[in-house]
Amino acid sequence: MRVRTPRALKRSIWVFHLNTGSCNACDIEILDVLAPFMDAERFGVKLVASPRHADVALLTGPITRETLPKVVNALRAMPRPRLVLAIGACAVSGGIWHDSYSVIGGFPRLKKILEENGVVIDRVVYVPGCPARPEAIIYGLAVLVGLLKKKVRKEVKEAGER
Amino acid sequence: MVKPILKLITVAKEAGVVTRKYPYDSPLLTEEFRGKIEIDASICWGCGACVKACPSNALTIRESMDVRELVYFAGRCIFCGRCADVCPTGAIKVTKEFELATEELEDLEQVVIHRKVKCPICGKHFVPQPLGRYVCEKCAKGGVPTYMMVCPECRRKVGVKKMIRCKGG
Ligand code: SF4
Ligand code: SF4
Ligand code: SF4
Repeated sequence: MRVRTPRALKRSIWVFHLNTGSCNACDIEILDVLAPFMDAERFGVKLVASPRHADVALLTGPITRETLPKVVNALRAMPRPRLVLAIGACAVSGGIWHDSYSVIGGFPRLKKILEENGVVIDRVVYVPGCPARPEAIIYGLAVLVGLLKKKVRKEVKEAGER
Repeated sequence: MVKPILKLITVAKEAGVVTRKYPYDSPLLTEEFRGKIEIDASICWGCGACVKACPSNALTIRESMDVRELVYFAGRCIFCGRCADVCPTGAIKVTKEFELATEELEDLEQVVIHRKVKCPICGKHFVPQPLGRYVCEKCAKGGVPTYMMVCPECRRKVGVKKMIRCKGG
């Protein structure tokens, strides 16, 4: 079976909100994105209740040990192409909880666990921020579907002579 | 049945269109909004005060033989601005940049490389050059710059030797 590439995702994006133990601030921002003020439905973004219907998982939180099996199950239930938008410092790298004993510590580490369990993630876009602004989430969605180009790039500078 | 709907229409008419056109329009940024930080490499000393203050370890220091690297990882930053508060040189500026979405975590890194001062006696590298220079300048006013650029261990040894010589006459 040929898997559609994420670029072929030209239709409306259906999103599933996956809270993996976040402090709820990022989740409130997601609600902001979906509410009429920022109105992500302008881009066809629609919240669905089941991961089986979703194109994109809006993943927030540092993935606590308690939620890990459920998160793996939810992501496995998603059809391919499986896209993930990791929202907030927690989901990007563990954020302020990065060295806590009770969390996996962000999506990159979860991705390894998923790979070991045979769950392929086709594309992931990281949205930093604590919490990520509604605009930042919309920007992330736009980058995910190829509407906008990413802005940031790694910077290496040498300390200047005076 | 009709009445509440009519009421709703009046309310909606009063409110007008509230939806923001964000990606095609300016974002709603307030005066107090804090975004990603920016480190001015030309004035940073590499002292590490910001690293101590950072609550989420977004700022870290990587030490190697002759180089100290100040690494800022925006993916972990909570945009609190504490680093900018404690920075003695004002090298850190809090910007309003929040459009940081990316597919590669590497993109979120910012590295400032500091070469370290080499000890003229043992050849060990020990302190970032700008920091060393600053300390020298400060102490030169007091008139004790002789062993300033010598590493702490050698400085101690030299000091002890000197003291013995003084005592022994
Ligand atoms: S990134 Fe910050 S705001 Fe979002 S869930 Fe984590 S701690 Fe909460
Ligand atoms: S506190 Fe300021 S001068 Fe010191 S290492 Fe951090 S940015 Fe550089
Ligand atoms: S803004 Fe706060 S979290 Fe970000 S680097 Fe500075 S001290 Fe660390």
